[in-house]
Formats: sequence, structure tokens, C-alpha cells
Amino acid sequence: MSVLGPVIALLVLIVVGTALNSNFLSAANITNVLARSAFIGIIAVGMTFVITAGGLDLSVGSMAAFIAGLMILVMNAALPVLGIGIPIILLGMAVALLAGIAAGLLNGFLITTLGIEAFIVTLGSMGIYRSLVTWLADGGTLSLDFGLRTFYRPVYFGGLFGISWPIIVFALTVIVGEVMMSRARFGRHCAAIGSNESVAHYSNVNVNRTRLMTYAMLGMLVGVATIMYVPRLGSASASTGVLWELEAIAAVIIGGTILKGGFGRVWGTVIGVLILSMIDNILNLTDLVSPYLNGAIQGVIIILAVILQREAKAKG
Amino acid sequence: MNPPSVLALRQVTKSFGPVEVLHGVTLDLRAGAVLALIGENGAGKSTTMKILAGIEAPSSGQILLDGKEVSFGSLHDAEEAGIVMIHQEFNLAEQLTVEQNIFLGRELRKGWLLDKARMRRLTREYLARIDCHIDPDTPVAKLTNSDKQMVEIAKALSRDARVLVMDEPTAVLTGSETRILFEQVRALREQGTAILFTSHKLGEVAEIADTVTVLRDGTLVHDGPARDITEDEMATAMVGRDVSDLFPDKPAQAPEGEVLLRVEGLSVPGRAQDISFDLHRGEILGIAGLIGSGRTEAMEGLCGLRACSSTRIEIGGKPVSITRPGDALERGLCYLTEDRKLRGLLLDKGMRENLTLQALHKYGRVLIDTAAEERALDRAIGEFDIRAGSRTIAVGNLSGGNQQKLLLAKVMQSEPVILIVDEPTRGIDIGTKQQIYAFLRKLAAEGHGIVVISSEMQEVIGLSDRVMVMRSGRIAKTLSGDEITEDTIVRHAMGVGAGSTERVA
Amino acid sequence: MSYMKTLLAGCTALTLSTGAALAQDDETRVIGVSIPAATHGWAGGMNFHAQQTVERLEEVYPQLDFVLATASDAGKQVNDIEDMVATRGIDALVVLPFESDPLTPPVQSVAESGAWVTVVDRGLSVEGVEDLYVAGDNPGFGQVSGEFMVSQMPDGGKIVVLRGIPTTIDNERVEGFEQAIEGSGIEVIDMEHGNWNRDDSFNVMQDFLSKHPQIDAVWASDDDMAVGVLAAIDAAGRDDVQFVLGGAGMKELVKRVMDGDEMIPADVTYPPSMIATAIELTAVGLTSNAPVSGTFTIGSVLVTPENAEQFYYPDSPF
Repeated sequence: MSVLGPVIALLVLIVVGTALNSNFLSAANITNVLARSAFIGIIAVGMTFVITAGGLDLSVGSMAAFIAGLMILVMNAALPVLGIGIPIILLGMAVALLAGIAAGLLNGFLITTLGIEAFIVTLGSMGIYRSLVTWLADGGTLSLDFGLRTFYRPVYFGGLFGISWPIIVFALTVIVGEVMMSRARFGRHCAAIGSNESVAHYSNVNVNRTRLMTYAMLGMLVGVATIMYVPRLGSASASTGVLWELEAIAAVIIGGTILKGGFGRVWGTVIGVLILSMIDNILNLTDLVSPYLNGAIQGVIIILAVILQREAKAKG
Repeated sequence: MNPPSVLALRQVTKSFGPVEVLHGVTLDLRAGAVLALIGENGAGKSTTMKILAGIEAPSSGQILLDGKEVSFGSLHDAEEAGIVMIHQEFNLAEQLTVEQNIFLGRELRKGWLLDKARMRRLTREYLARIDCHIDPDTPVAKLTNSDKQMVEIAKALSRDARVLVMDEPTAVLTGSETRILFEQVRALREQGTAILFTSHKLGEVAEIADTVTVLRDGTLVHDGPARDITEDEMATAMVGRDVSDLFPDKPAQAPEGEVLLRVEGLSVPGRAQDISFDLHRGEILGIAGLIGSGRTEAMEGLCGLRACSSTRIEIGGKPVSITRPGDALERGLCYLTEDRKLRGLLLDKGMRENLTLQALHKYGRVLIDTAAEERALDRAIGEFDIRAGSRTIAVGNLSGGNQQKLLLAKVMQSEPVILIVDEPTRGIDIGTKQQIYAFLRKLAAEGHGIVVISSEMQEVIGLSDRVMVMRSGRIAKTLSGDEITEDTIVRHAMGVGAGSTERVA
Repeated sequence: MSYMKTLLAGCTALTLSTGAALAQDDETRVIGVSIPAATHGWAGGMNFHAQQTVERLEEVYPQLDFVLATASDAGKQVNDIEDMVATRGIDALVVLPFESDPLTPPVQSVAESGAWVTVVDRGLSVEGVEDLYVAGDNPGFGQVSGEFMVSQMPDGGKIVVLRGIPTTIDNERVEGFEQAIEGSGIEVIDMEHGNWNRDDSFNVMQDFLSKHPQIDAVWASDDDMAVGVLAAIDAAGRDDVQFVLGGAGMKELVKRVMDGDEMIPADVTYPPSMIATAIELTAVGLTSNAPVSGTFTIGSVLVTPENAEQFYYPDSPF
């Protein structure tokens, strides 16, 4: 399997970025890029498992918006009882994680037990969660109580040893994910199912349960991402998380995971996520092209990264 | 006087990278003659056929068409020249109907629209010529393997082939289907078609071929009229050593000791009813029957691979309930599938991942100990004589025989007490067959119980201590000792005579 | 509802005509309302006002039926309108076009069928189709914003601009803004699209802050984007940015203006309630003889701590 393609693309981007703007490699900018990548990145790690096992989840973006909305509502409602403090933050986090796992299990149940196409199930739930958050917010914006927000803020902006929390959580997710994918039975089973479901079944792999687990895990990671997202702006609306699902899927594929399943690598996904957010960052930092063309530049680089991967594969 | 050569190879070599796999092959396909190309898996048969059919280009040497040198740029060029190849892995679009497949790529038209009526009529005609009565509107996915083979042949007929290249056409056919195929082959021969086919069934070769050409390790080792060579000589030429004792010796007395497995009233809805039998320690029990007689389904049901019901199942004297494959494995009951490519092996993965997939729990609770996996692979390669170019090669690139040996190694990872093997030697060469037979007998002698499902009569007879014949989802008869003859098995499998009173379902 | 001075006249007419309307014939008439879905804050507010108005008017006018449809893209909106004509036989259509060009032909054919047509906010590509045009003033929005910038920075300074989704509306606003600051010494050092989205504008502003060591002020051009911009400035801990000017009149930001927040000294209105005005005027036009056709422009007003209270609607979602 090719290793070089996405790495080369990322290195080229870093060189270009540095050449165009001296601030590109500054600690502040690097922190910005990494912290922003964290939401999509954490979700994309989960997506890597789903895709490797031959599945797909289009609902993650609207799921994130819904969970963020729910979390804000619950925390605002609990405010008079719990007051501002650690307990209410923990409550919010628990709500996010549980809602994520539940949403993932629901997707997984419909896909595995009822045997409905993943594309259809998650397209459906994508619409459902998007509508639910619009409804919860009355078409407007759900905002976390101002005092609560100030208290919760360090979860996005604070950190340990100068590294902000989203980056730390992202890194931990990646490490655990990479070990699970390449060294654990779970990862091996996912790849086997994605490679050939019948062979996996005949080899005593519990196909349905493994698939269900991938969706539940993705749901949980959406919850984790939401826990990091809410303190940033303290709000959720119908426009939260729009197109996150496509960015996450794109990152997974750029990273070398095969869209039809059977092979996945988590570290590749990380490279994919970084490529995507670095393109945005570089375009904002420079005046090279008309902002109208940002999407086109992104598209070209995504396709190039995948072509590089193909070329490297052909050479062995 | 030989008829003229239609398509010929002259000193053809083929290299993949630095490795030369064909060393100067010369052969002639003549109009109105059948050439059987035989050899062990990996001997170069497939490559030779692909060069003839324009799928691969030779590295050196010439291809002569009607005596003139040609080079086929593609499969399409070869088809234009009247050369049609029928692949062992069928080249059919599963979701399309029989008719759509037969006319795929050269649909008949009436003006702008498809002339469906004419295509359907012609399809019926072609199918009738090979005595195959399937509806032209059936999707290919719903057909059995043998019907698919017939559709491939009908497709070749529709193309008025001058040269027909068939890669193991009989591997998935039953005896009667093979006879129909051979009648058709003879008819084509009468019409002057040049035919090349490969087979591992040497009896068939002797029956139908005019010329026998033997390849061993990419070199042509024999080429002559079929009447001048016996089956034994063919096998010896292929393997390069004497293989007259293909089957290991059976114990003088069928083992009748401890009952390892007792099955009572096993039913798989719509496939098999009321299957009851005992399997003894040290015994090889053969299951014979036509394709579709419910053999595979019954055994898959027994092993928890598909839904089934039963009155009672005992393993080692204890009643057990098996609803998932894991239940069966925990009790030492293991099934080796008949379809190694679609159900047995992950073709895009390496040998290590495949070997340990079914018993991954042995290599670590959560994290996998890859070093231990590598050691297991070393042992398996040694024990089963698996020959692969490299350890990391995707198993889809291994020859059929090596895939089958790897599959056997894989199920042995589960350390079964009772092993059920389904068509253990389908489509593999005679040398590997001999190794697998010896291995199964050795397992039985060590105290395992073995069930062998097979459509190859020789295999069932040569290997089994007892034979259970199935027909239409039921056990027609269980034979032992001297009763095990081809004649008796066929009679029970077809439901004719043999003094039995069982009703024809 | 009627907080715009320019609207007072219209509403008086409306109140007067309500009594007369009730006396009209009993025949039920149907008004179709087609608007974009609530995909961002302003549209959310607009949806809220549309729903409220429809509910209220259905009680006031028993002889009127309303059909409200929200569309997530222009194609769906065309379908909605066609369905309204085909299945509900609407007598009047109030439409806030997603985009001007694709919506022009279907709305034109509604007008040709004899139904009353009210167009809101975004004009059609062909003039004279609609009976009533209720619109915000986009160049005016930019101009008011620009004039405020000039008044706050008499000695000039460096500002960055966040633009909305690339559309005519956005272009008109930015042009109006640029004209207003011309010659004032205010220099726009960077401009990017934040797509009227909080997350996007947060990212863009973070990058602006990395790129430019000195930024005196930000024209965020929209309140949602202003929220993202404020968070980014806050996180970077930069104190060179003196203030951020948003727009549209979101309640949270109006509140901050009212409270005298130094970072948010003012806001510029672009009221989502213009849809309510349009629906009400259409209802009046359909049920009475009051003259309501023509063009109705709702100007953009500067919200300052002094007048903020009259623009603050705590109950609205926006």
C-alpha cells in the first residue's frame, strides 16, 4: 500500500504555506490549524473504521449539530439546579457522549439488523438530525448561558503545557484508533468484513455486531467532537456542522483508506484532515487567488493527493 | 493427415518481471480437433490460454493464425478473429439476465431500439442446442454454477467461434451436465471448430480429447495423440513422479468406536430435511449427491452458518445447541467451505491475516501478537507445503492448490475435533490432491472425525470409510464397505432402483 | 412588528382596512408564502416572523387560507410554487426568491395566471412582474455601515472585511460600504467570505489575525459572523482591534450594543420581519381596496446604545 502520496501532498502544502507567509509556521497558527482540525479529525477517525468495515455514515455533521443543540439545552436547563461548576460541565459531556452513542447505535441497528443500505439510513438520519436541531432552535441559534460559556471556554481554548485541549484529545483519539486498527482484533475484523463479508461470516467473525460497534464508536466520537466544539462559540444552529460528513469522508479517502472497505489506516486519515484544513488556512493567509476559487483549489488538491497515492501504488 | 492448424503458438515465452513462467511453448489448435491442455496448478496453463485468447501478450515467440503471424492487441481483437475464451471464473454480469449476457456488447437492434424479441428467440435456440432449459429472462445471479457454465457456452455459440478455449469447463458440473457439455463439444468439433480445454479430471481428457498436451513448470513435456497415452501416464507426466496411489490406504475395518458427533433430525428450511447420522472417532464419512441435493446447506446449518432446526445434536456424547459459528468452533466442530474464493479467503489480504482470521482470539485478547502470527504462518507453510512467491503476496495471486492448502491451514488453526470439508479438492492439481487426501487420512488416524462432501465420485469412493448419499434434501442411503461403488452411489443420488423404497421427492 | 418609521404609514392603512376587510365576500382565498429554509440566523428570524404572521392573520381573516413552504434550494422553491398553483390554486403569492434568475419564470407565470404577486428582499430578473415589492436596502446597508466606520475612525485605519455567501446581496452591500469609506483614510487590508456562518468566520478571522499584525477594526457585515469574529479575537488575546461591526439586528448583539459593550458599539438593521410586512400588505391587498401595490423599501438603520432598546426583541429566535 502506498504511504507516500498523502505525506508528499502535506509536505508540499507546508513548504508552499511557509514560502507564502512567514507566520505560517508560527506556534499560534499551527495551534489554530490543529485545533480546528480536531472536530473533523476526531470524527474522521471513527469514520475510518466505518468505511473500513464497508459502511458509510453521512449523518455525522447534522448529528454533531443536534448533539450540540441538545447539550446546550440540557446545560441551560440544569443551570438553576446545578449552578456554574464542574458538575454541570460533566453533565453536558455525559449528555453528548450518550446521545452520540445512541445515535450511532440507531444508525447501526437499522443498517445491520434490518439490513437497510447504509447510504439510505444515514442520508435519512442526516435530514432528521438537521431538522431536529433547527426545530430545537426555532430556526435560530441555541446559545449557552453566557456565564456557563465563560466557565466552559477553557475546554477549547485552554490546555496542558501550551497545547490546547482539542489537540490533545485529537492526538489521543488518533493513537488509540491507530492501535485498534492495526494491532487489535477489532481492526482486523473490520478489515475482514469490508474485504469480504461472507468470508468473515464463515470465519466466525460476528459481522453484525462488529459493524454495529463501528457506528456506535463513530457516534461516540461525534459526541467527543461536540464536547470540544460547544465551548468555542457557545452556540449551535442549523448551520453547525454542515458538510462535516463530506469533509470527514474525504479526509479518510485522501489518507488511503479504501472507500469500498477492506483496508483502512488511521494515521492516513490524520494526514487527510490536516491537508484539508491547511488548504483553507493557506488560502486565507495569502492573496494568491480570488476567494471565489477557494473551492476549486481544494478540489484540485484533494484529487491530486489521491492520484499521487494511486501512482505510488502502481509502482509498488 | 492432420487437419490444418487454425491457431498456433511457436516457441512462446512469457515473463512476469524477472520470472519466466512459460519456456518456449509450441502447440497447434486444429480445425475439428479437441486439444486437452493439462498440468498442475501453476504449470502455465492459464497463461498459455490467456496468450491464445489475446488477454496477455507473449514476451517472445509467435502466434500464428491460419499460418500467418498475428499479434492481438486485446481480447476484442481475438474475438474478432473468432477466438472465444470461457473463463473458469465466469465472465458474466450477475445482475443482467441470461439473454442480456449472451448479447452483451453486441446487442441486436431494430432501428434505434433493441430487438428484444429476436435476441430472446436466439437465446432460446442457443440454450436448446446445449439442452439447457433456463428462462432467458432469469438474472444470472440466480443461476447455479452449472447453468452459468451453460450460459457461457451458449454465449460462445452465439459468437460463431472458430476457436473455443475453455478453462476447466467441467470443474463445477455434475456428471450428467458434463455429458451434455461433451455432446456439444463433439458437435462443435464436427462443425470444424478448434477446441482447447483444460481439466484436472483425466478420465474426461481420455474421453474427449484428440490431442493431449502436458505442461510442467512452464515447459511442454508431452504433446501427442490422446490414444497413445494412458491416464496414469498423463498424471506421471504432469507431476513428474508416480501418483498411481492417489488415495491413502483405508483402515481394514471401518472405525466403529466412540461416536464423536450424533445428529438427529436436522432440517434446513427448504434445503434439507430430517438428516440424522453418526460420525465415529477416526472415521472419514463421505457425503455424495448431486449439486443442489442439500449437502452443503445441511452441513452449514449444522455448523451454525445458516438457520436450521434439529431434534438432537451431540458432540462427544454431550447434547449441544449450535446457533452461531462460534458455538460450533468452541465444541471443536469446524467447516471448510466449498467456495474458497468467495467464502474462504480474503483475496486482497496476505497469508498471515487469512491464516489467523478464524482463530484470532488465540493471538491476543485485544491486541494481536503479530510475531506469534508469523510463527504460525511459518509452521503452516511447512506443514501444508504452501508455495507462495512471497509471504506478503495477496492470496488472490496464489494458485488454486496453494489457496486450498492455506484454507485448510486456516481451519486447522481452530484445532477442530470434527472437521467437515466441502469439495476439498475442487479445481486443484493432482499432486496437491494427493497431499490433501493424505492429510485428511492422517487426521482421522489421529482420532479426529472427518466429513467429506464431494461431487467427485473417485474422491468419495477412494477416501471414505462410509458414504452417505443425499438426494433432494434427504439422506437416500448410507453405504459402507463393499457397497461403496460408483454404480450404487449414482443410483441412490439419482433416485433410481437399488431396491430402495424411498419416495422420490 | 412595525418598528420601522417608514412602515408606520403602511400599518395604519392596514389597521384601518382590517375592519373593512371583514365585511368583504365570504369566498375563501389562498395566499401562498414561499421562503428559503432557516439555514442561518437571519433566515431563521425570517422564518419565525413568517410563521407568526401567518398564524395571526389566519385568525384575523377567517376568509384567508395560508400555505407556507420553506425551500432549501432554488430548485425546490420552484417546485413548491408550482405545487401551490396546481394543488391549492393560490390567489396570491408572497415569495422571497432563493435566487433571482431561476425563480423569475415560475413567478412570472403565477403573475400571468392572474394571481397577486408580492416579491420580498431579492428582486426578480425582469421588472414589472410583481404587484408589490418589499425590500431591504442592501447598498444602503453597506453605506450605513461604512459611514459608521468613518465616524468611528476619523483618522483612518486598517480594517478587515468578512463577506457573506457570494451573491448579489453581498456584492451590493460591499459596494455600498466601499463607496462610503472612499477617501476617508480607512484601508481594507483583507477580505474573505465567511458565508454568514459562525464557524467559517471564526476560522477566517483566526487566519486574518495570524496574517496581519495590526487590525484596527472589523466589518463583519453580519451578526452571526460577528460572533465568530469576536471569539477568534478573544482567543488570540489581541487588543489592537478596537471594535467589530456586524449587521442584521440579532438580539444578542443588539443587547450588547444596549449594554454599551465597547467591542460592539453599534449594529445595522436588515430586519427579517420584512416578510411579515409583505404578508400583511398582501392580505390587505387581497381583502380590501386599499392601495398597496408598488415598491416598499425598508431602510437600514444604525442601532446605537441610545436607540437599541426599540430594536431588542427577546422573544425572537434571532
